[in-house]
Amino acid sequence: MTWGIFRQEWLSLRREGAMWLVVALVASFAGYGVYNGARWTAFQTRTLASMAQEQHARIDKLRSSIRQFTGRGPDPRSAATVGDSTGAPYAVLPPAPLASFSIGQSDLYPYYFKLGLKSRSTITESDEIENPVNLLSGRFDLAFAIIYLLPLVILALTYNLVSGEKENGTLAVALSQAVALSALIARKVLFRALVLLLLVAAVSLAAIALPGVDLTRAGILPRLLLWTAVVLAYGSFWFVLAAGVNALGKSSATNALLLSGIWLVLVLLIPSSINLAAESLYPVPSRVEMIQAMREASIQANQKGSMLLARYWEDHPDLASPTGGAEGDASFTTYAVQMEVDRLTQPVFDHFEAQIASQEAVVNRFRFLSPAILAQKALNDISGTGVDRYRGFRASFDRFLTAWQDFFFRRISERALISSQELDSLPKFSYPDEPSGAILGRVLPAFAGLLIPVVAIGLYANRRLRNYPVAG
Amino acid sequence: MILEIAKKEARETFRDGRFRILAAVVIALLAVSLGLGWKRYSDVSRQIEAGRKATRQNWLTQGEKNPHSAAHYGVYAFMPRTPLSFVDDGVDPYTGVSVWLEAHKQNDFKYKPAEDSNTLARFGELTGAAVLQLLIPLLIILLSFTTFAGEREQGTLRQLLSLGIKREDLAAGKALGIAASLGMVLVPAALIGAGVLIFLGDPRVLPDTAARLVLLALFYLFYFAAILGTSLAVSAWSKSTRAALLTLLGFWIVNGLIAPRAFTDVARYLHPTPSAFDFAKMVAHDLENGINGDSSTAQRARELQQRLLKQYQVDRIDKLPVSYRGVSLQEGENHGDEVFDKRYSELWDDFERQNAVRRAGGIIAPLLPMRSLSMALAGTDFAQHRDFAVAAENYRRMFIRMINDDITKNAAGKDLYVRGDDLWQTVPEFQYVAPGVAAVLRANLGSIALLLLWTFAAVCAAWWSARRIEVL
Amino acid sequence: MLQAIELSKTYKGSVALNALNLNIDPGEIFCLLGANGAGKTTTINLFLNFVSPSSGAARINGLNVVDHPLETKKFLAYIPEQVMLYRNLTGVENLEYFTCLSGERYSRPQLLDFLAQAGLPAGAAEKRVNSYSKGMRQKVGIAIAIAKRARALLLDEPTSGLDPKASNEFSELLKKLSGTGAAILMATHDLFRAKESGTRVGIMKHGRMVAALRTEDLGHADLERIYLEHMHD
Repeated sequence: MTWGIFRQEWLSLRREGAMWLVVALVASFAGYGVYNGARWTAFQTRTLASMAQEQHARIDKLRSSIRQFTGRGPDPRSAATVGDSTGAPYAVLPPAPLASFSIGQSDLYPYYFKLGLKSRSTITESDEIENPVNLLSGRFDLAFAIIYLLPLVILALTYNLVSGEKENGTLAVALSQAVALSALIARKVLFRALVLLLLVAAVSLAAIALPGVDLTRAGILPRLLLWTAVVLAYGSFWFVLAAGVNALGKSSATNALLLSGIWLVLVLLIPSSINLAAESLYPVPSRVEMIQAMREASIQANQKGSMLLARYWEDHPDLASPTGGAEGDASFTTYAVQMEVDRLTQPVFDHFEAQIASQEAVVNRFRFLSPAILAQKALNDISGTGVDRYRGFRASFDRFLTAWQDFFFRRISERALISSQELDSLPKFSYPDEPSGAILGRVLPAFAGLLIPVVAIGLYANRRLRNYPVAG
Repeated sequence: MILEIAKKEARETFRDGRFRILAAVVIALLAVSLGLGWKRYSDVSRQIEAGRKATRQNWLTQGEKNPHSAAHYGVYAFMPRTPLSFVDDGVDPYTGVSVWLEAHKQNDFKYKPAEDSNTLARFGELTGAAVLQLLIPLLIILLSFTTFAGEREQGTLRQLLSLGIKREDLAAGKALGIAASLGMVLVPAALIGAGVLIFLGDPRVLPDTAARLVLLALFYLFYFAAILGTSLAVSAWSKSTRAALLTLLGFWIVNGLIAPRAFTDVARYLHPTPSAFDFAKMVAHDLENGINGDSSTAQRARELQQRLLKQYQVDRIDKLPVSYRGVSLQEGENHGDEVFDKRYSELWDDFERQNAVRRAGGIIAPLLPMRSLSMALAGTDFAQHRDFAVAAENYRRMFIRMINDDITKNAAGKDLYVRGDDLWQTVPEFQYVAPGVAAVLRANLGSIALLLLWTFAAVCAAWWSARRIEVL
Repeated sequence: MLQAIELSKTYKGSVALNALNLNIDPGEIFCLLGANGAGKTTTINLFLNFVSPSSGAARINGLNVVDHPLETKKFLAYIPEQVMLYRNLTGVENLEYFTCLSGERYSRPQLLDFLAQAGLPAGAAEKRVNSYSKGMRQKVGIAIAIAKRARALLLDEPTSGLDPKASNEFSELLKKLSGTGAAILMATHDLFRAKESGTRVGIMKHGRMVAALRTEDLGHADLERIYLEHMHD
């Protein structure tokens, strides 16, 4: 029976233009989405390559100028110069293995920082150049096609699953055969789901052939599998929802209205409302006020000036200079003042972080209200463009920056010079890809949040179909 | 006759429970989004005002120091928010709120509100503009897709036409009836918006704001008329209500979701912009080697010295009646200004070319020119941001020049040159006057033309298809 | 084979069927006559378990249709007034599909044979059904009945819209099917056809069976007279 139903579905849909249109739409949306994502990832990769090249050239130049230093002119081995400009590397967050599948937040948050001895806030304020209207419009990536457009295609294919047959008259003939309606509908849904979701999975996997997706990278296969699994779970939700609405026994037009309304609420309205709630409950402090606080701190710190220097010697008696040379002290005072400013303004930044973290907590708690949010977050996490990865990168960078600055402040206070051997042993930054196990852990709640409603709605549809008004 | 039809349509709609629910939801969404938008505007305006005063205070009370240090200390300029941003906040979330005006550098605007937001912000903010541009068209479609197709299906079309009613009258009456139902939703919202502006807004800019509000309402009316016309045309053309609904929903999705992103991608492809890293490299290169790449800092310094020596008829720099330092600082600024002008205007012109490409998509999607116009009238589009950025930059050049002129005139021969409040106070505060509504209209003629074209075409299409409507 | 025992159906206060008692044996052709809304279609829907009875029972081959929804359909065939099939499929493909829903698998030649037995012209079987006339679609419905070796047949207004030749062909098929021992319940307006083909007739009015007669006891004119007498309020 299953095979016969599949055959009938195949013949009916194939001969009706709709199916080809749908296939064409899905393939083109998905294909275009991946192409777009790949272009963005390629842009990032190119930029990072330029930076690596520049860094390499600069450090080579530094090495040779140290070797050739004759003693006249500015000393290239000065710790301040090396730590702040000539020897300062870039800390980069390379695009994750599947970054071209979902652009996520990767066009908004910085993906590299240049190390230095300036204040932390100066170093971490780097933005990529992008037309703000582009940022406003959003991106057409594969994740967009899946989260927004795939449900619509699914609903277009299934909104009249039962109601259409009834309005056609074929339902009565079918049900006068010895088959239960729910068994029949389950198979029809299964066929359409298989066709559509396999198509999407195929397009996604075919995307590996595109540049920007490196097949040899470790961990890409588990990520691909996870990606496909999320897409299947998300698609199943919409299929089963259509079956559930059909089971209510209303006309095709009413089904279409109901389903588009549900799509609107789940994909557009609920996310906006949760966002609104999170922002209202935990409003982020004003950056304008933050700038003012930084200025005040800077004034304060400058006034303290030499007092700070004295305090530093107290805290680090082993470094206290026996000669107390004025020049070295002056340059070191700058850094001492800067550290003090960072210290005074840290609470402001911490407050910022706390508010944003609270907002994210609200979002995390309420994301189960909408499959679109669940799926988007899961897809972002799998492709490495979720907000968690950027926070992780930032936290790791903050630690590295502290280590870097401590190292060089020490050198500056010791009035030590950096030799070319030391250049090679300077601390290096790297941010490794998350292991697949960790990603799986983060994505599991999404599966639960998607599949539990699938089962629940499926059971409900099953029960309702038993009382389907076949006649009248 | 037309009025009778209109009255019947309107009465039928008001009695429909589904319309009541939809209308209530839309009004609630509008109220919430406009209310929150106003709160955001007034909060941010207050913060900006406080920031403005604070930065001026900082400038005036910075104490006695070398004027060049004061130039490095600089002032902050904060991007003001326009009153109508509570309806459409445009690119405000994606442009930085503040810029640091200091010597030698044209800085970028920092602190994009979107970066301080949670992940759901990318799903779309619930602003008044989103409701007006996305949800109201959906409401229009739902109210009108059955207009002709439904009557044909029910068989009442036959009866109406057999009574001798002209098809055009029927079309006009139905359109009027639907417009009346819509009015029930939109007119209160518009009145509330106007009331908020009049009673809570800044009276000084009221005439300009009022003109903008009236124009905004007018253009939105054209937009809605275009959607209504399209919907009626499709309803008349389609063979069934189901086909009409599917076609119109497809149009809504292309209009609201696909076209903005797809045309953004085309725009980016046709006019790519450099990465921040490359841009900084280009600027650094130009600063060092001149715009044409044919000079060097040292060379320019030599030329300056020779020019000065000749001008003042002396043979040594330290015999100049003016401060060489002051003159060379200003020369440096002039050179920098040239470079910044070239590079930034290249970049911003590319942004505007991208925006033009995106607007051209209005051939398919009326949302694109509407969004453009809405942002322009609300004062939240890129052009407005650019205008402010240019004004801030001009102010920066002006006050740096004042400082340098002071040094030039008075610091000749002095090793230590210190000034205080008396100099700081001569620098006027930064005043910004936004362009008036007439200028905005002139700059957006293309969008206006596209929108009016759409409206005209849609109304014609509706008229024409109603005339040719098939009864059976 | 087909049994109705005090079968009743009420929709929101209005009585569609009132205590129907009916017994149709194998080989019998029972015609239900009556005005629109008299309860004929409701009766058929009750036997198909498309609606559930408010009281009473409908039985097919001794099994209650509500308790054994799938089993009772195994040897049941239903031909509605408009036999709606899948437009883009051919006659054979439709037959194949519907028979497979009942769990039967037939080969191509077998299916073509069923269609031939049902009287479908040879070339038409491989054409898409959106080109079929009503009579041709009906024949596909009958082919389904033949393929299922149906023991019970439910027909709703089968001859409405058929021209006299097609109507006659239909009668022949009906006789052939009852000859195989199927019990047939036919709801119809066609008094002529009821006398021609039926073994018994029942007259329905406002949900009640007000008369049940044997056709062999009646002439055509009698039937019409009795029918109009009952219809007269």
